[in-house]
Amino acid sequence: MDLAAVMDAVAGRIDTITGLRVHPHPPGSLTPPAAVVSYPDEIAFDETYVRGMDRMTLPVVVVVGKASDRAARDELAAYCNGSGARSIKAVLESGVYTAFHTLRVMRIEFDVVTIGGTDYLAALFDLDISGQGA
Amino acid sequence: MFVHGKSTVITVNAVDLSAFTNTSNFGRKADKHDVTTYGKNDHVYAGGLGDGAFSMAGVYDNGVAGPRDTLEPLVGTVITCIRKPEGTGSGLPQDSFSALLEEYVETNPVADMVSWQATFQPSDAVTSTNQA
Repeated sequence: MDLAAVMDAVAGRIDTITGLRVHPHPPGSLTPPAAVVSYPDEIAFDETYVRGMDRMTLPVVVVVGKASDRAARDELAAYCNGSGARSIKAVLESGVYTAFHTLRVMRIEFDVVTIGGTDYLAALFDLDISGQGA
Repeated sequence: MFVHGKSTVITVNAVDLSAFTNTSNFGRKADKHDVTTYGKNDHVYAGGLGDGAFSMAGVYDNGVAGPRDTLEPLVGTVITCIRKPEGTGSGLPQDSFSALLEEYVETNPVADMVSWQATFQPSDAVTSTNQA
């Protein structure tokens, strides 16, 4: 798997969700609502013999409105639901990819991130991605 | 020198399954016969017929040269297996043998990749050579 191609493919698929700005790598600044495909926590090589398969855990961060806004909660919930037009899991797992073989959204963690002095509600998605090792 | 397992190559019925395999076991053994006679204070043994065991397992792939399409139709048949424990290269060891494919199993965990495993019974002699 080519890391850049994987990050581009994931970002491209998320970009099919209307109204969500997508960054295929961590940007210098962003305007919510936005999704950022970040760098993997790790890449595991040699999951099978002769470079047959590699595997990575790729984080995607979705940032919406102010943490104190109820509207931000509702908006983030739409991205975090297991199904629906704005479901990150449903959209990503229904994609067809050439940069890798399989993708599964494993879990979501929630956090508050500070951008430009404002606290924004954020969801951190962990993606389990496997593909050709060569 | 120590040798890493990642370069192992295994071919079954002329299909290279290495890229879908992440573990394998190959063992050889022999029967033993107790030939102890009167007057001995300890058992005395003689070697008998050779035997062996072979198994492999890995990550499922739905391609035509993947483990399912390759192995499932062969369950119950004797086929040729080639094992290169240090990978492909001139002078590296290679075991070639016929084996009965006894079992092919697929496992589907809810939160992980589909996996497979196959168990073989080696049949007749094993030819161990160095690769040309």
